[in-house]
Amino acid sequence: MSCPGFGELNIPSSRAFWDDCDEDELENLKPVEKLQLKFDGEPAGEVAPVESELLVVIEGVNVTHFATSLLAKDSKRLCGIPAKTSSLHWSPSSKQLLAILEEDLTSSGEITELLLPYAKLAKKVVTLTLKPKVEFKSEDIQLYRDHIAIVRGVGVDQKDITELEAPNFIAGVAAGVASWRDQEELPVSSFVIYTDKLPLDATAAQPVIKLLQSVGVQSCSPNYVPPRKENSYLYM
Amino acid sequence: MLFLKDKRPKLDLAEHTVIIPSICVGNAAQLACDLLIASKELRRIGSLTHPALIPVYGPSAYQHEPKEKVSSCELYEGSEDKLLVVQFRAPWVARHTGHFQKELVELLKGARRVVILSGSFGFEKRVIEESPWAYRASDNFKEAHAAQLGNSELIKWKEHKGEAIYGGGNALQLFKAFDEQKVPVMLLFRYLLEGDNSTDASLIVRELNELCEDFLQLRNGGDGSFKLTVPKSWNLLFGNDVTELLF
Repeated sequence: MSCPGFGELNIPSSRAFWDDCDEDELENLKPVEKLQLKFDGEPAGEVAPVESELLVVIEGVNVTHFATSLLAKDSKRLCGIPAKTSSLHWSPSSKQLLAILEEDLTSSGEITELLLPYAKLAKKVVTLTLKPKVEFKSEDIQLYRDHIAIVRGVGVDQKDITELEAPNFIAGVAAGVASWRDQEELPVSSFVIYTDKLPLDATAAQPVIKLLQSVGVQSCSPNYVPPRKENSYLYM
Repeated sequence: MLFLKDKRPKLDLAEHTVIIPSICVGNAAQLACDLLIASKELRRIGSLTHPALIPVYGPSAYQHEPKEKVSSCELYEGSEDKLLVVQFRAPWVARHTGHFQKELVELLKGARRVVILSGSFGFEKRVIEESPWAYRASDNFKEAHAAQLGNSELIKWKEHKGEAIYGGGNALQLFKAFDEQKVPVMLLFRYLLEGDNSTDASLIVRELNELCEDFLQLRNGGDGSFKLTVPKSWNLLFGNDVTELLF
């Protein structure tokens, strides 16, 4: 059995471009079509952004099932966001807008711009980024060996939340929205959870649920049941 | 989108030297800009957002501005020295690069001079004995700095005349874009390899300071040397300590 690529040393021609473009290809790139929010049956330009009390942006790898089953139960899907299975949900009763974002860094700058009209109108914005625990950097990393989740905030004035320290940072749409609100001097609470298990399982979801409830996210169920999987990592 | 702090109406660069890193081998140019910002305690005056830049948000990268939040493209100014340093914290998305580059040149074309810092793969240097430095300068930059660039005692750089700088990212394209707008521009790069590039970064800063001290205004400590400050964001540059359980 062969294993293509195994043991090969691949030196990229350039680290300048996220989407693996080489220096000599740069001038031949074709202009791309602008991304748009996907409203059912209506052109994106004609739909006015909704004014919300709270905009919640939750972003991570395989976050769709967790967020839709826990947070989007009492809301209706407003539109699709052009990053994998990402979507925007609106709850008229709580005036809460929920953006569920599957991590797609290549289009994150463009998607941030699509969501800015919503971020501008929202009274309060909470962003949450889910990252794997291995990406957390600390000089005392041994202390976190047995933690299921490491919860950190960026510029959050909340006693029970520790501030994120350099060299850690967040990247993506949640980072873009938080950064924009911060620079516009509008209120924003930005959190990152470094979790032991992505996609989240029932145990790993608990710290996430606890955080969302503590920041006032409406209709957040206390328990999460992950989808049943037909296969597993176990050798049978 | 340009954000300027303190309700500044516009970016006035008439007398300014602008330093821009390209995202190159070992991120050496960005590291050099980090050293420059931290050592000179430059003040953050704004930032830029664009679809070409992956958004980034987090705690301040520098000790001297602990309340700032990092973003993907930051602008730092030393108003006394008329110095503006651009810092990028994310790679670019290639398909939007052309548009972003145009916007960047439009924004900075009023500057007195622009210096682009970069790096190229060490194995691209064919003659080992030659200087590890190369540069490219526009005619108006060469005219304005003829004394310094012509001083072979001081400057031992080789003039680059090729069509690509491999490993140098968009440095050459950016150089050409500024040159087209008749902005005095120089591109300085070092041949280096991926690894711990913090030394390359300090060498880039020192070499640039050699060319013309009024560029950087790094004050000498009396013995001809100057002290560079390492920013706190350089902690754990190669990740966490390896767990003892591994052994």
